[in-house]
Amino acid sequence: MSGAPPVLEVEALAKSFGSTQALEGLSFSLAAGEFVGLLGPNGAGKTTTIKMLTGLMRPGGGAIRYYGRDFARFPVEAKRSIGVVHQRSNLDRDLTARENLTLHAILHGIGATERRRRIDEALHFAGLEAHGNRAVKTFSGGMARRLVIVRALLHEPRILFLDEPTVGLDPQIRRGLWDLIIRINQTKQTAILLTTHYIEEAERLCARVLILNAGKLVAAASPAALKREVGHFVLEVQREDGLEETFFESRHDAVAKLEGCAGACKVREATLEDVFLKLTGRRIEP
Amino acid sequence: MSLGDGVRGVLYRELKVFSKRARKQILASSVSPLLFLVAFGWGFGRGVTMEGVPYLAFLIPGLIAMSSLNQSYGIAQEINISRFYFHVFDEFLIAPVSPLGIVLGEVLYGMFRGLLSAALILLIALPFGAPFAPSPLFVAALLLHTFIFASLGVALAMLVQDHAGQSAITNFVITPMIFLGGTFFSLERLPAPLKLVVSALPLSHSVRLIRDSFLGRPTDLWHLPVLLAFAAASFGLALHTVSRVES
Repeated sequence: MSGAPPVLEVEALAKSFGSTQALEGLSFSLAAGEFVGLLGPNGAGKTTTIKMLTGLMRPGGGAIRYYGRDFARFPVEAKRSIGVVHQRSNLDRDLTARENLTLHAILHGIGATERRRRIDEALHFAGLEAHGNRAVKTFSGGMARRLVIVRALLHEPRILFLDEPTVGLDPQIRRGLWDLIIRINQTKQTAILLTTHYIEEAERLCARVLILNAGKLVAAASPAALKREVGHFVLEVQREDGLEETFFESRHDAVAKLEGCAGACKVREATLEDVFLKLTGRRIEP
Repeated sequence: MSLGDGVRGVLYRELKVFSKRARKQILASSVSPLLFLVAFGWGFGRGVTMEGVPYLAFLIPGLIAMSSLNQSYGIAQEINISRFYFHVFDEFLIAPVSPLGIVLGEVLYGMFRGLLSAALILLIALPFGAPFAPSPLFVAALLLHTFIFASLGVALAMLVQDHAGQSAITNFVITPMIFLGGTFFSLERLPAPLKLVVSALPLSHSVRLIRDSFLGRPTDLWHLPVLLAFAAASFGLALHTVSRVES
């Protein structure tokens, strides 16, 4: 987190739609090879942030710098160093996997010989070697997601944006994608900014998380540090009007409290989700 | 180079998709000109003359203008689908290419579609006994004509917010322009005020050049600079809208 120079700096980024302030004063930076999660309830401004960082939307205010260079002034240079997986699939359904990858390679100026090699490698990396010549419309959700991810990596970006990469997928397929994403971060040293609804996913994958609520950054730290802030253990008591949660520093304190508890009571370890709910104050829907 | 990558990328995508539907698309695009040709040129127009030539000879260059307009401008609908439904257009927007490359790629594709349909009509119409005198002016007029309407198609696809907006423009602007712009009858027959309105539209100039050069008769060459101005303006608009578009 420290030491490496930032590959991306975001300063007071803001966006409003009409009278709705979608994002305000968002500042953070991303170091080379870092894996950061961007969390927040629906409508918190995650996708808006990713769209502005990737040039699909103009910022309403603030600055974005890649390698110290202003994104608004040097968009083409910046776009060479970033890869994007958007929440909605933007594969060409009529084209084959190989043709989708070829299109990406051409748009990124990768020459024909190199193109062939990288496409073979990408299909292999995604476990799609056998399906390169199939039209994408025949792909399952998991296959299409893997293809979108390796497509975003084809031009060897130093920074990868993943906007809800696992949403709507089976647990088995999500695990498979996690492996793929971890491999990208570790073997290719690609910095990753991941947005997700699944807090557990961010907790497992990210070295640092940023939590957005209603367009504002409300926390930025490692999952462990954030959990320390709320307390390590939780006593859950099921009351008639809902679940009551009390946080404790040690298991001993929590268990001591549990002894006098009547009804459905349970002591468990605190999770990032507890932090998230405490900070954002509402449940999120997947 | 980012400009060349953009043009090549867009053309690769559009031509790949086109090639997968080429047969269907070509057949479909030749139905309506063929019907016009049979109904008006051959059926209704036999024995009729317009501007001193048999109506069929008058109509064929008009149909070439109409069909190539529809095809060039018709890329708006494809771009729309790729913007709003499949988000394929995002792939162009996040790529390290300039908006100029994207616009040029789409416009070249639109011109290709328009020129293909023009060739198709020539192929269909020649057996009907049309007099055809190919000339550099005919080619130049057709290139400008398809360039203008492909550029307008790109601009429109960026400006509208949904499908309904698109078909509204088609119904209120494009279709009246085709019917009143000199495709089916001589502009001389229009009352003066309406004629003035119609001559502010690019089609009335391009159809004039296309027809005169098709028939090998003398024409007013000032239509050429007018079309060049339309071409510059519509391409400028397309470039502006693509540079500003958000997704």
